[in-house]
Amino acid sequence: MIEVSQLTKRYVGHLAVDNVSFQVEKGEIVGFLGPNGAGKSTTIRMLTCFLTPSSGTASIGGYDIEKDSIKVRRQIGYMPENVPLYPDMRVNEYLRFRAALKGMSSRSLTAGVGEAVETCSLNEVQNKMIATLSKGYRQRVGLADALVTKPDLLILDEPTNGLDPQQIRQFRELIKDLGKRHTIFLSTHILPEVEMTCGRVIIINRGKLKASDTPQNLVRRRLEGGDLVLELNGHSGKAMSAIKEIKGVSSVLEEKTEKGWTRFKITSKGTPDLSERIFDLAVERKWKIRELARHDATLEDAFVDLVKHDIAGKGAEG
Amino acid sequence: MKELRSFFLSPFAFIVMALFAFINAWLFVSTVNAMRVATLPYSLVYSVFASGWFWMGFLFIFPVITMRLFAEEKKTGTFEGLMTAPVRTSEVLIGKYSAAVTVYLAMLVPLFLFFPIFKMVTEQEGAFNNGSLWGSMIALVLVGFFNLAIGTLASAITANQLIAAMLTFVGVMLHYFFGFFMGFTTLPNSKWAAGMSYLSTVEHMQLLSQGLIDSRPFIYYLSFSVFILAITYHIIESRKWRI
Ligand SMILES: Nc1ncnc2c1ncn2[C@@H]1O[C@H](COP(=O)(O)OP(=O)(O)O)[C@@H](O)[C@H]1O
Ligand SMILES: [Mg+2]
Repeated sequence: MIEVSQLTKRYVGHLAVDNVSFQVEKGEIVGFLGPNGAGKSTTIRMLTCFLTPSSGTASIGGYDIEKDSIKVRRQIGYMPENVPLYPDMRVNEYLRFRAALKGMSSRSLTAGVGEAVETCSLNEVQNKMIATLSKGYRQRVGLADALVTKPDLLILDEPTNGLDPQQIRQFRELIKDLGKRHTIFLSTHILPEVEMTCGRVIIINRGKLKASDTPQNLVRRRLEGGDLVLELNGHSGKAMSAIKEIKGVSSVLEEKTEKGWTRFKITSKGTPDLSERIFDLAVERKWKIRELARHDATLEDAFVDLVKHDIAGKGAEG
Repeated sequence: MKELRSFFLSPFAFIVMALFAFINAWLFVSTVNAMRVATLPYSLVYSVFASGWFWMGFLFIFPVITMRLFAEEKKTGTFEGLMTAPVRTSEVLIGKYSAAVTVYLAMLVPLFLFFPIFKMVTEQEGAFNNGSLWGSMIALVLVGFFNLAIGTLASAITANQLIAAMLTFVGVMLHYFFGFFMGFTTLPNSKWAAGMSYLSTVEHMQLLSQGLIDSRPFIYYLSFSVFILAITYHIIESRKWRI
């Protein structure tokens, strides 16, 4: 559905999107994840033909975003960041205007708008002025606009931004449901959203593609390293060097907690679980331990990890 | 269509339209009065349209009509939704410009009703001739096309309505005053002066409201309107390449 190849966008003295390539298959729900300023909106604006790439290409449903811009736009239902609407129009009127603008014939207009209103539960407010609507309703009007022509692809830029937890949950359900009929590409900087709704995550940071995988795989990949927490009493210096000698340990952090107790955070790379080896070591050396635990990695860890490495490498990039 | 609706629903627009109609009505009455006490050298139509008062009101309506066209959409962000809909930029531009033209024509209607009504009420045939009325009407429409194009351009340049309005006003004024500069120039009969006066609103208007219709103003106003709209088109498109 979406094919992105070496897409780049350069603003004055600033590379907003840097050589990004990825694909989205028909029927997928893909989360486009990255911190603020990562280049999500810029990428999306190129896909929706609002901006032209500095270099690279992209196509939607086989049509090139530059050469077949109108055909590309016909397949997309787009909800821009912050959901701009015309405040002085009524909901129904707005949706009719948008549907007509997108080329819906006047015959199918009423049915189409009615269906979108139904899907997004806008029945109660359809005759209200948009200016008087709450944030949650405005967001749904934006979504209704995006899907009114029943496009194959929905592109949503931070769709749950500014909603309260209750509204976010409702919106998520709605998106999951829509995923049965549309391919969905949504951007967000909120992790739980991706974990719960998306089949795949594309992570971008500082304009560069960092990862593209299922949330489960990203977590698993992170776990292969994994963190262990060990808390023991006494001999912290000796314990430290002993732990460091274990094969596969990449770093150890120590932290004095209470009188005599020391807490170690052990990170390993590329080796499976080290907890057994640490346990054996503790028995052998007769360490008095009160905790040996594996710290379960979350998608958040995976995300922070991917993004953190980048900040460390910032100097080299210039 | 959306433009039309939102324009007529805005209270500000009503105030401006009412004011415009009022100024014109007042102007009309005072000109008629003036004609009663002294014989003016030109017809009633010409006297009304040559008055500075008329022009003051007239030049103000263009910024008001056009300032919102693109500037407001850019400010609120709806511009993005508009330009990512499967519609060509040229269609958006023509749609907006036509809406502005429609509003403008609607505002002119009351103005031109004064004259026939006056004729009917007073049964005075000599006050003006139909030629000069038609001439003035055509002139106002042509000048309107041009000034609305300037306003559309200004609105596409900025996201600030006020700046758009000011740019439009300056543009419209400059164009209007070209004619007056000619009065001061030391070489009144040079080719340069002739060229300049060709560019002036006043010049064309005076000829037309005297009932003298020729093709030059048509070519002039229509071609310049198209030219300015073409520039506007490229400015709207240039956002894509924004670096
Ligand atoms: N019109 C613009 N001109 C210059 N820089 C911009 C412009 N729009 C965005 N940027 C910059 O490009 C980077 C990416 O922005 P954006 O795509 O909006 O990020 P995101 O949507 O991921 O938060 C940011 O550093 C931002 O400051
Ligand atoms: Mg963004």
